Amino acid sequence: MTSQISPSRRPTVSSVSAWVLRGGVVSSSLVMLVGIMFTFAHGTMSIQRMKSDGFDYRPGIIIEGIRHGQGKRIIEAGIYLLVFTPILRVFASSILFAFQDRDRLYAVITFVVLLLTLAGLLWIG
Amino acid sequence: MSDAAQSIFWLCQVAGASFVGGVVGSISGLGGGIVIVPVLTLFMHLDIEQAIGASIVSVIAVSSGAGSVYVKDKITNVRIAMFLELFTAAGALVGAGYLARIANPQVLYVLFGLLLLVSLVPIFAKLGEELPQHVENDRMASYLRLNGSYFDKRLDRQVRYNVTGIPAAVGVMFAAGIISGILGIGAGVVKVLAHEVAMKVPTKVSTATSNFMIGVTAAAGAGFYLRRGLVLPFVVVPVAIFVLIGAFVGTIVMERMSNSIIRKIFALLLAIVGMQMLLRGILGGL
Repeated sequence: MTSQISPSRRPTVSSVSAWVLRGGVVSSSLVMLVGIMFTFAHGTMSIQRMKSDGFDYRPGIIIEGIRHGQGKRIIEAGIYLLVFTPILRVFASSILFAFQDRDRLYAVITFVVLLLTLAGLLWIG
Repeated sequence: MSDAAQSIFWLCQVAGASFVGGVVGSISGLGGGIVIVPVLTLFMHLDIEQAIGASIVSVIAVSSGAGSVYVKDKITNVRIAMFLELFTAAGALVGAGYLARIANPQVLYVLFGLLLLVSLVPIFAKLGEELPQHVENDRMASYLRLNGSYFDKRLDRQVRYNVTGIPAAVGVMFAAGIISGILGIGAGVVKVLAHEVAMKVPTKVSTATSNFMIGVTAAAGAGFYLRRGLVLPFVVVPVAIFVLIGAFVGTIVMERMSNSIIRKIFALLLAIVGMQMLLRGILGGL
C-alpha cells in the first residue's frame, strides 16, 4: 500500500515558495563566489575595473566565457540565477495552485503575474 | 595604499553598507535600496543608474532571502501578494513601456517625494497601535479570501486579521507599478503603505508581504538595467552576498519586535525616502 502523505508533509504554496527562494539565493551566491575566485586566480582586480566592467546579458557570450573559465561570466550566470529566483517562485506557485490546491482563481492570477513579469524582464527597455 | 589594499578597503565599505541595507530592508519590507543607492553614489562615486542597477539586484536578494524565512514562518500573506502583484506588474509595464518616454523623471521624483512625505500623516495617526482593531473584510477581500492569521513571536499568540480597502489598495499598487516602471525603483515603500493604511493588516504581515512582492517587481525591472550594462558584476557580488546576510539577520530581529516599533522604523524610513526622492528630483543624483 502506498503510504499516505500526511497533511503537514504535503507541499503547499508556502513551503514550496520558501524552498525555491532559499535554493535560489544559496545557489546563486555560491556561483558568484566561485566566479570571484576564478577572477582573482586569473588576474588582478582594481577599483577602476570594478566600477567600469559592465554586465553582458547575452547568454551565448556567458556560456562561452564559462567554458573558458572566465570569472566574470560565472558571476553573470550567478546574477541571472538570482534574477530568475522570484520568477521561478511565481511559476511554482501557479503550478501548485492549479494542480494541487485546484484553486482556479489563484492559478489564473499567478499565471498572469508570471506572464507580466516575464514581459517586463525580457522586452522592456 | 597599494592597489590591492585600496580595492579591499573599497569592497569592505560596499559590504558594510550592503549588510545594513539588508537588515533595514528585510525588517521594513523596503528592500534596501534606501541605504545602498546613496552609499554607492555619494561614497563610491558610481553613476546613479549603476547604483540603481546594483540596488535592483540587491532587492531581489533581500526579497528572496528574507522571503524564504517569512513564508516558512507563515507571516507573509501569499494571496494578498499574488493578487496585488497583478496590478504592480501591469503598472510597471505601462510605466516602463509607455510613460517612460513622455514623463519627466525629475518632476516625477519631486511628486513622488512629496506624496511620501504626505503619507506620513496617516502613519503617524496610528503610530503607537500594536494591532489594527475592528477591521471587517470588505466584499472583495471575502471573495478573494485575503484574511489570514500569523503567529506573533512577540505577543506569543496566533493573531487573526481581516482585510479591507481593496479598491484603494489596487489603485495604489497600480500607481506603485507605474513609478517602479519609470524610475526603476522597487517602490516597496508604497506597497507597505497600501497594506498598512488602505488594507489595515498588521504591520508584520504588511512588511513581510511587501518584502515578498518587491522581488517580483524588481525582477521585471531588472531586464532594462541588465541589457544596458548598468549592472556591474564586480560590485553586485559583494552587494548581493552581504545584503543576504543582513536580510537573514533582519528576519530574526523583525519576528521578535513589536508591531508598533516596526511601524516607527517604517515611518522614519518613509521620511528619509521622501526626502531622498525630493532631493533626487531637485538636484539629480543621491
